[in-house]
Amino acid sequence: MKRVLVVDDAATVRAYHRKILENAGFEVEEALNGVEAFEKALLNDFDLYIVDINMPKLDGYSFVRKLRETEEIRQVPVIMVTTEAEEKDMDKAFEIGANFYLVKPVKPDEFLKYCKLLTGVSYE
Amino acid sequence: MIKQNYALGNKCDITITDDDFEKFREFFYRKTGIMFDQSKRYFVDRRLVERIKATGHDSFKSYFIFVRFDTSGKELQNLINAFTVNETYFFREEYQFRCMVNKMLPEIVSRKKPGEIIKIWSIPCSTGEEPYSIAIYLLEYWKDIDKWDVEIVGSDIDTNALEKAKRGIYSERSVQNLPKHILQKYFTYLGNGDYQICEDLRNSIEFTRINIVDPKETKRYRGFDIVFCRNLLIYFDDLSRKLAAENIYDAMNPGGFICLGHSESMSRITSIFQIRKFPEAIVYQKPLEKNE
Amino acid sequence: MLIKKEEEKVKEIKEERRKIQRDFEGLITQLSSKNPMERRWAARDLADYKEASKHLVKQLMKEEDISVREVIISSLLRIKDEVAIKGLVECLRSDDAHLRNSAIEALKEIPEEVAPYIEKLLKDEEPDIRIFAINILESLKHPNVIKWLIEVLERDENVNVCATALDLLAEVGTEEAIPAIEKVREKFKDEPYIQFASDIALKRIKG
Repeated sequence: MKRVLVVDDAATVRAYHRKILENAGFEVEEALNGVEAFEKALLNDFDLYIVDINMPKLDGYSFVRKLRETEEIRQVPVIMVTTEAEEKDMDKAFEIGANFYLVKPVKPDEFLKYCKLLTGVSYE
Repeated sequence: MIKQNYALGNKCDITITDDDFEKFREFFYRKTGIMFDQSKRYFVDRRLVERIKATGHDSFKSYFIFVRFDTSGKELQNLINAFTVNETYFFREEYQFRCMVNKMLPEIVSRKKPGEIIKIWSIPCSTGEEPYSIAIYLLEYWKDIDKWDVEIVGSDIDTNALEKAKRGIYSERSVQNLPKHILQKYFTYLGNGDYQICEDLRNSIEFTRINIVDPKETKRYRGFDIVFCRNLLIYFDDLSRKLAAENIYDAMNPGGFICLGHSESMSRITSIFQIRKFPEAIVYQKPLEKNE
Repeated sequence: MLIKKEEEKVKEIKEERRKIQRDFEGLITQLSSKNPMERRWAARDLADYKEASKHLVKQLMKEEDISVREVIISSLLRIKDEVAIKGLVECLRSDDAHLRNSAIEALKEIPEEVAPYIEKLLKDEEPDIRIFAINILESLKHPNVIKWLIEVLERDENVNVCATALDLLAEVGTEEAIPAIEKVREKFKDEPYIQFASDIALKRIKG
């Protein structure tokens, strides 16, 4: 079973992503800011991170940067899911090492497609 | 109406619905980092109902609005108290002491010159169990204790607790986690169920009174290599937590470590510390100085 | 070996502190020191000077060390005059995500002082600023909070702004918000997330 960490400060957003992923057979854990996310990343083996940008304590970009600097977990794929839709934001996301970028609110099918793609789950 | 219900015995007319539970759970998780599993439902409901009644409310709804919009933060503190165990005893959360001797201290001494002292801070020290536990652990389990001088400071805002700490008299309950040989070596049985820690240890800890949120008071605390700040910050409001963390940061040497309580996390406090994962525990570290 | 500190050492530390401490002018100079630790101490000590807010804001806008940023923000929160608050509000527009979000958190700590700015921010032309304003609302005990959230649902055309309002209403919403929630559900009937979020808000409100 593939494990996903959903990182977003809004409870409803986390619940929505959780529902989509669990229905497709993923195991889901949550974090509401970049510090909590990093702690959970160190303690667990995740196959994918879903990361929001605007969060208290540690924002999404900073979290992904830390991830990419940490040997044991740097290879895990990251999808940034956020409200910001400008090109400069997307560029920044790829620059710091995100694998993909989706604009909120996500549609279940599209979201699932990329999650499966990045975790090597065959897409039906 | 509430008084009547008590008189009727165990009949509980306040119910917590599934949606109430979700709402409460999310709020509590956001504030403390503690997430209640569905399996804890009964435990949570009971404690909640207790608080609802204790504050004179007759429904979850009105109680939640009260907590949510309470500017003093007092009821949230009561809630956190109700859901956490805040008992102090010797060798509480021992895995952190193990981490101290196995991992933290070796790293710290690798950066020290011979003759430099190591400073450890226990804040809050309460009635002394924690700083004395640190002292005993170092003497018993740190192989390099004879090579380095260690200064242990225990601080608390409560002067009564500090007086008790200096006296060093403890109940059976407080010492029950200690291996027998340690109890015999460092304590004297006083005969009435109480144990007193030996004079040498009582004289080796510096006990001070401090308000950790006040930078004027914390200014004179500097150069700490390890800080134990367990089960304190979780009871503070958001701003006080941040201020306390900043004051502690300033009191630490670069590369110094800080340990929080096992259900606490810096994720609800600040991002200025680095997160270090050791086999025994997650601890936090003040970054080493970069060359400017 | 366990040792105990002697009293003399306390005096030593006091002397050292006095050397570094100066008057207001000196602290302002120290605020732009190359050494982050000196900047921290300066930012910390400047919390006692109301006149310091404009200097602190200026430094905040260019400060790169997050531990110094945090202290500057704490000091601004202690001073909390108009300059400090306006400065923090300006940070909401920063390109630096960490600074933006630190500002949101900071403004949440001074709900009374930020309340007069909220209404305007809720009508800002940038949708992200409107979202941040709702984030700040989370800490307000203001009687108008629900009313403002309802207005957002009724008036705002941006799906993510409405989504943020729904998320907050799930926690603090009352029955008077129900019609607005049902309307926003209609307004965005092709957005599965809005359907999901509206359902949750309605469930939590009805209890």
